[in-house]
Amino acid sequence: MVVETPETIVRVRRPRTSRVRGGWGLAAWFLLPALLFMVVFVYIPAGLSLTLGFFHYHLLGVDTTFAGLSNFAAALSYPVFWTALENTLIFAAIMVPLTIVLSLALGFLLHVESRFYASLRTMVLLPYITPVIATSIGWLWMFNPQYGILNAVLSFFHLPTLQWLLSSHWAMPSVALYTLWHSLGFDVVIVMAAIGNIPSSVIDAARVDGASSWRLFRKILGPLLSPTMFFLVIITTLGTLQAFSQIYALSGGAATAGGPSYATTTLILLVYQTAFQDFHFSYAASMAFLLVILILLFTLMQSALAKRWVFYQ
Amino acid sequence: MSAETPAVGTGAAPRPRRRRTARRLAGWVRALVGLVIALMFLLPLYIAFVTSFDTKAHVFVFPPHLVPDWDWHPYVRVWQMARWGMYFMNSVFITATSIAIALTTSVLAAYAFAFIRFRGREKLFIAVLVVLMIPAEALLIPNYIILHMMNLINTYWAQILPYGASVFGIFLLRQFFLSLPSSYWDAACMDGAGHLRFLWSVALPLCKPTLLTIGLYIFIGAWNSFQWPLIVTTSHHVQPIEVAIQRLAQQHSVDWRRISAAGIAATMPLVIIFFLIQKHIIRGISRGEGIQG
Repeated sequence: MVVETPETIVRVRRPRTSRVRGGWGLAAWFLLPALLFMVVFVYIPAGLSLTLGFFHYHLLGVDTTFAGLSNFAAALSYPVFWTALENTLIFAAIMVPLTIVLSLALGFLLHVESRFYASLRTMVLLPYITPVIATSIGWLWMFNPQYGILNAVLSFFHLPTLQWLLSSHWAMPSVALYTLWHSLGFDVVIVMAAIGNIPSSVIDAARVDGASSWRLFRKILGPLLSPTMFFLVIITTLGTLQAFSQIYALSGGAATAGGPSYATTTLILLVYQTAFQDFHFSYAASMAFLLVILILLFTLMQSALAKRWVFYQ
Repeated sequence: MSAETPAVGTGAAPRPRRRRTARRLAGWVRALVGLVIALMFLLPLYIAFVTSFDTKAHVFVFPPHLVPDWDWHPYVRVWQMARWGMYFMNSVFITATSIAIALTTSVLAAYAFAFIRFRGREKLFIAVLVVLMIPAEALLIPNYIILHMMNLINTYWAQILPYGASVFGIFLLRQFFLSLPSSYWDAACMDGAGHLRFLWSVALPLCKPTLLTIGLYIFIGAWNSFQWPLIVTTSHHVQPIEVAIQRLAQQHSVDWRRISAAGIAATMPLVIIFFLIQKHIIRGISRGEGIQG
């Protein structure tokens, strides 16, 4: 298996002799399994995803004909597509700022070395590992306008009760509330890891100089944590655009998913329904294509902003 | 337990007098705020727990009562309503196989990227990393078509093979392998060990914690996966537990006791695992950040 090409012999003379032996003949055996999976289930599908929207594709493969831009035109003139886009953006607009603010606040609040605070951290992280469907259906009951605990809490404080998932106005914020509950612990752990990496000498020095807590945060902790915050913005945005299970479960499943009256129909849900409930593959692929462009735009925009705001050590 | 104020986050400029009392008070306030918030995170699980043990008379009351009645009937009934044992074993099989395959392919590929020199290595590694930038949404439809062409729709494999390679795993393991001193390899080489032998008896035992981190990630992802099984399966015989629970919730949407019982039963295994290996999970999350930052 080991092919002694002239190249390997030449390279043997280089300083890092230890990692030299091999060459393609050997490497291929190690790489093949992973690459095989990636080619079949990532690279080829990625290529397909770019082209599928431009064809009339049917699973049975009877007539795959070129469709030009007709699928895209149909998607863009479909009102529900725009509703879905709006819902997706609303969801992200709720999730991203709240995630950043709350995970920073909780990260600082719970960053104490003691068993008491360790158990608090455990409680905050616990929801993250629970299965989304299993806990979503529990939240369905909490959201119940008549008997749910959320309205009980609201009426305890003499606040007006809400229809939650049944109201087209509050359905998306309700989904966001569940999602925050489920994912915030993850973000808090990341923030706390970043806080832990800040050398305490930096903080001590600032304190000796008499810096207030707010100044300490603005001038020192903020910049030092900015790469982490940027990371959180990115993964929260991506997570929001991908969110599926909780939306599906909280809006009632197969027949009613995305309701009431399209209030929780996000782009990914619309792609799913179009492709796998209505079996319009190419049409759905064109929507997925537009969704991917949206994701790329988001990422580019965020990286551009990051250049201005993020401080790398 | 929270009398000492921590280094970060609280504390005003030092004032010699009332400082200690003020500090102690701030410590208690902080602990209280933390406790209330942490309890809010626990509440939804607790509500589901209470509801699952309610007697029939206690479900539809307002405001909801918060003490379990310890009525096991919902669990007994929900157990009889579906083949939970089968769904559970499906989840176990899919998860275990996914972990085994992804770990194997990751170890091998990472080893090649770290220890074997071949032409175009860096370029190929970048081609692997690029996968991280491909949004999963883009792959749903094409992957379905590919599995359809392979005649694998409605099988376990449709739920396993797409996760056969883990870029995250390759990345983390390569990092780890590169951190091994090259003298290890020299010594093994002297003893006449080949690549496979070195990998198996030297490198692998050392990277157990990394393997555990990656395995955990795949475990949480695979056990909780819902969207993909929903897409590629219609036959109950190969479906995981999440899909089965969703179907139950859809069909019996007013039977809150049984729905909650099913939800709690499906959540419990993960909660137990979580408490057993919490430290690894937290370290895994903290490390996962390194991949981007």
